[in-house]
Amino acid sequence: MNKRTIPYILFLLMLLWHTVMFAQERFPRPEFESGYVYPEVQMPLQRSVAWEYIDVAVLVLALSVSAWLAIWKRSRQGLIWMAVFSMAYFGFFREGCICSVGSVQNVSLALFNADYSIPLTALLFFLIPLVFALFFGRVFCAGVCPLGAIQELTGIRPVKLPKTVEAVMTSIPFVYLALAVLFSAMKSEFIICRYDPFIGIYRLDAPYTMIIFGILLLVAGIFLNRPYCRYLCPYGVLLGIFSRFAGRHLTITPAECTNCRLCEEDACPYEAIVPSNEGQLKEDTARSRKRFIAYLLLIPVFAAAGGLLFHTMAPGLSRIHRDVRLAREMRIEQETGIAAISKAAVAFRETGETNEQLFAKEMEIIKRFRKSAPWAGIFLGLSLGISLLSLTVVRKRTEYKPHQGKCYSCGRCFRYCPVEVNRKAK
Amino acid sequence: MMKVTENEIGILKVVSQVSGIFTVIVALTMIYSLVQLKTINPLDNPAFITIKEQFDKEPENASKAEQVRAMDLMARKAYFSSRRQVETGALLLLTGVIMFIICQRLISGNEKAMPGIPGLKPDLRKNQARNRKYLLAAASFLTVGALTISIILRNNLPDLRPQALSASSDEVSEQQKDKKAARSKRSKREDKVVIAEDFSPDGTNYPFFRGHHGRGVAGGKGYPTEWNGETGMNIKWKLQVPMMGKSSPVIWGDRIFVTGADGLKGELYCIDKKNGSILWTADASGIPGEPSEVPDMDAEAGMAVSTAAVNEKAVCAIFANGNLICHDHEGNRKWALNIGSLKNIYGYSCSLIIHGNTLIIQHDSDERLSMLGYDIETGNMIWETPRKGHPAWSSPVIGTFDGKPQVIINGNPAVSAYDPVDGKELWSVDVLTGDVAPSLAVNSSYVFAVTDYARLAAVKPGAGAAIVWEDNSYTTDVSSPVANNEILVIATGYGDVACYNAMKGDTLWTHYFMEQFYSSPVIADGKVYLLDRGGKSYIVKASDKFELISTASIGEPADCTPAFSDKSIYIRGRNNLYCISEN
Repeated sequence: MNKRTIPYILFLLMLLWHTVMFAQERFPRPEFESGYVYPEVQMPLQRSVAWEYIDVAVLVLALSVSAWLAIWKRSRQGLIWMAVFSMAYFGFFREGCICSVGSVQNVSLALFNADYSIPLTALLFFLIPLVFALFFGRVFCAGVCPLGAIQELTGIRPVKLPKTVEAVMTSIPFVYLALAVLFSAMKSEFIICRYDPFIGIYRLDAPYTMIIFGILLLVAGIFLNRPYCRYLCPYGVLLGIFSRFAGRHLTITPAECTNCRLCEEDACPYEAIVPSNEGQLKEDTARSRKRFIAYLLLIPVFAAAGGLLFHTMAPGLSRIHRDVRLAREMRIEQETGIAAISKAAVAFRETGETNEQLFAKEMEIIKRFRKSAPWAGIFLGLSLGISLLSLTVVRKRTEYKPHQGKCYSCGRCFRYCPVEVNRKAK
Repeated sequence: MMKVTENEIGILKVVSQVSGIFTVIVALTMIYSLVQLKTINPLDNPAFITIKEQFDKEPENASKAEQVRAMDLMARKAYFSSRRQVETGALLLLTGVIMFIICQRLISGNEKAMPGIPGLKPDLRKNQARNRKYLLAAASFLTVGALTISIILRNNLPDLRPQALSASSDEVSEQQKDKKAARSKRSKREDKVVIAEDFSPDGTNYPFFRGHHGRGVAGGKGYPTEWNGETGMNIKWKLQVPMMGKSSPVIWGDRIFVTGADGLKGELYCIDKKNGSILWTADASGIPGEPSEVPDMDAEAGMAVSTAAVNEKAVCAIFANGNLICHDHEGNRKWALNIGSLKNIYGYSCSLIIHGNTLIIQHDSDERLSMLGYDIETGNMIWETPRKGHPAWSSPVIGTFDGKPQVIINGNPAVSAYDPVDGKELWSVDVLTGDVAPSLAVNSSYVFAVTDYARLAAVKPGAGAAIVWEDNSYTTDVSSPVANNEILVIATGYGDVACYNAMKGDTLWTHYFMEQFYSSPVIADGKVYLLDRGGKSYIVKASDKFELISTASIGEPADCTPAFSDKSIYIRGRNNLYCISEN
């Protein structure tokens, strides 16, 4: 057995080991008549604060090693080992919490609600990968993120999606980010955590629908590598923005690009290689300038349209808040006589609060949504406008380079570069 | 990566395919098992619930305790063996996945990772133009989707007109107060005037258990509110019924019909309404097919618990040994037959009801659950509709919904309606569990089902039958509820009487009367007549406020439900039948 297969075997062993943790008590306890007294329920102790600092230290270390492996060592095998480690530590050991992807919501909640004090660890988990992205690109995605790691290891047979489908799908993370920030800021829901597809696998303790969703994503990931990272991950949007300005980024070739074009077709399943345009005819400058100005002027239009759209959608979006859902249930009961029987409704009646108080609270929440949702729309409009504008600018490229926003720094492209192959052979 | 030969790659491909298919099959089986595990609670098993409830009633019964233990153990074993199956499935699934991934990695690792030969060099400008188009298309697609979802989600949200939203919190609060006042006014108005009463039975005939349609609502006016069985106040006559029975009197014209039984011998009595003399007695024994012994039943019950049913042509009576007789008003037997064993744990108690020319029987025994329709002229069975569930001790009622009369029964677990003409089931909805003895209450909109240890529920009848409101604060074990379009009254087996808003389910009033109720309340002339097991009647106003009009007593225990006819009330006590009248 070659040493390169060992990381995969370790990964599978981890999954195997975890299946023994499957059991959970659901069946009601027997009723004993013999006077047997059940032992008191033992609650797990809170994790020591020291562990939080250890987590941060491990994160920094893992990011540093990942950056070194991707940029200086240029070792795809090393990055796979890194992925195995992250999956073991941040995934199975820390059970996927806290994670940088979900920390977006803690930050958003803290920014818009003075009464919430964000834990330092959550803030650091949010900031540190962004700082690394600013300096070294998305090395966090390469081998540190537990969600990315599990997909990286199962991505075996990459298949490219049609470009139209790819274009629609890659816009979803922007919408997901906007909604995640809005809902957490409105104290409604942490949707990233609730719909985290892999947490169920790491803990084997999620609703079975989410476990099935996670497994389906992994199976899809065998062919569509990293489906969550590409088509859902909201944190990836932020990493992508920061990574565009990375001072030092992974390169396909270790030396000067020979423009052999061997990395053009299959090297990157994520379409993250930008080819050189050497020798291509230049477009008429006046025409391209006109287009640039037109798209520049369209940015505020898109932003305004996004704001208006979300302002219209705000009442519907407010339904994510439990009080709005409860108010709706109570209103139906009041108007049609159909009894509200949900657990929330039963609990609400116990509080002694009146329907009118609940309806007033509901109006307040909808008002807040009306105020805040347009900002999510403006963000999406701006993102669309800026993306379109960037597609009107043609920079002169003399070599094949990774797209700094899209590239996960996974190193898959290394072995497609003859310069790299020669270097390794030596 | 480990080097493998071409031949080995071929083998790996086959192994990979087999393990892939194996994994998919195991995954699908596991999903099915997981869904089962998540959705089925073994302790919700109706048989288990029933036996537990029986044990709760008889905690000293060792055999019941043993049954509960055995079923509990069986349920646990079944549950844990399912869990073991899931855990074994998880290991199999993992093995399949491991095999598949290892094979695939070995295959892909040994494939020459040589890049494809590129075609023409991509034109970046064209690519950009195409990407702009795709991006705009994606944005439009998402916008349309978002707008559609938003419109769907807006359903049933409050008034969102700008002025409502722009109002300050105080204004909102003021508006809420105004709205609350308006709503309160409207609600009060709605409470007062609900739906016009469309059920107005005549004041002379009282043909079934709980009167016309079995609804517990009497026609006519001027019924007495005061009487005393011991002093004879307002007691027009009193008759000792020759044989005991828990069945209630029914009335057609000037004749009262009531049943009694002693051992295997059952009788139907026709009594003159004017003076209480027995006009004729019909023997209901010696019918071919009748059992040689009285079926096992609750010691208190007896063979004559079911109430007779009468129409203008005939009177029919049924007894717990399965004997069914039909006579004309002069006492001539039209026909008689034995409909088979009616044996069940407490004894047969379902009363008869007639629709048109069809005698309808709720046949609930340990062996057979059925609705039966007999031709009242010939005694031939016209239809039979088997039912599912467990035996009940309730009686059928007739309700009219969507302009169509329906025979409706309260069962375990379903409240079900049948077409009286052909017996076809019209609708059914699971409502109750446990021993179901109370019959249904019916008004113009809803059907009300209740039993102890389960719940009180208002059911909207029809094809999409569903529970509209429910409550479990007051439930009853024997006495049936009564409703009109405004109120629903139930008299419980522990002395509480509760009145609900029939349409909304709000509790309007409750009162504790000390004594148990087995007799069912009757609404007559704007009053609710309640008769407790001690023979004491409480007459309260049929309204949303509790107002006790009077109390009266016949002086002997009573479990039967009174009959109302021509300003007189007929109450069967343990031994005597009383005619109560102010004239």
